[in-house]
Amino acid sequence: MEIDKIIHEPARLRIMMILAGLEQADFTFLTATLSLTRGNLNRHIEKLESAGYLEVKRSFKGKVRNTSYKITQQGSKALAQYWENLDAIRQSGQS
Amino acid sequence: MDSKQNNKLQDHKAEKLKEIPKWTRKYAQNRTLTILVLMAMLGLFSMLIAAIVGFLLALAVTGFRKGNIILGCVGAAVLAAVLAALVKFYIYIFAKFGGKNKGLLDQIIDRWIYGQEGFTSMPQTKLTKKRKFLDICLGIVFMVCILGSMQLAMLGYISVKYLLPLMALFVVPFGVYQYFIMRPRFGPVILIFPVLYAIHAILIIAGVPIYFTGTFAVPLNMLLPIIYNLLAFMVGHIYSRYALKKIKSLTHLEGDTANGD
Repeated sequence: MEIDKIIHEPARLRIMMILAGLEQADFTFLTATLSLTRGNLNRHIEKLESAGYLEVKRSFKGKVRNTSYKITQQGSKALAQYWENLDAIRQSGQS
Repeated sequence: MDSKQNNKLQDHKAEKLKEIPKWTRKYAQNRTLTILVLMAMLGLFSMLIAAIVGFLLALAVTGFRKGNIILGCVGAAVLAAVLAALVKFYIYIFAKFGGKNKGLLDQIIDRWIYGQEGFTSMPQTKLTKKRKFLDICLGIVFMVCILGSMQLAMLGYISVKYLLPLMALFVVPFGVYQYFIMRPRFGPVILIFPVLYAIHAILIIAGVPIYFTGTFAVPLNMLLPIIYNLLAFMVGHIYSRYALKKIKSLTHLEGDTANGD
């Protein structure tokens, strides 16, 4: 049983968990809730995006540019699998 | 012993992390101050228009009745100009915020209120043609019921005491239906309005004198649904503050972990 290393990183796990509850959230919301620097958040998002777990949507809200993120179907599956594996490991550790 | 305690702590942390989606959903569903501001803007604008048109109409009618043709003509001319300006204003508003730009005004207000917190969205229910038709029909029925009961109360067919309980017969089911329409964009906070309204109606039937009487009794009693709606959106906003605090506490990372790979 293997733990997905991309998701297992604490900041990335939190990004995935935040997006799991929403349709989409923008960059400002993620930086504000996670208290990460913009560069740091960008780096984590790039990794999640290249793994196919996140979808980036660039748009304009009126005249302001906005970048939103959405968890993909593959990302949702990977996240569910991650928790399943982690719970199994925790349980095997207890017994 | 230490390793056991450490394991327990890790388990506890993992369980807490699983709560994040629940709180982000609650936060996004309860960003209701936007609707509150939109309703207040719409209300104030309607009141302003009603006051201006009412004043000018009264001026023109008084002028003609008293034989003061100049006053009557000036009143009528200004009223026509105001109505023309209103039509132009509505065309402008529709061009800017209607059709393809539907929802833009909400977004502007949302950004103004919650801009610092960022943007979140919940999935919207896709409206089928059948569903749209049903919503329009129910909206028309609701408006007919509202205006009908108002008229009946003004003509004295219904006592002011029973106006609210009578209205509860259609306002409460409509409020519950509104919750099902607005789900999952909004959460159960929408149900506060029909619940409070039903309690109010039951209390009146039970003999508690919680209704307006006097000259403006009918319009004032009709205002109650709006007040309960505003209250529900206010409660929603306060709850979103709590949910945001909860998300921040659950997602908080220590300095080194936050800057790690």
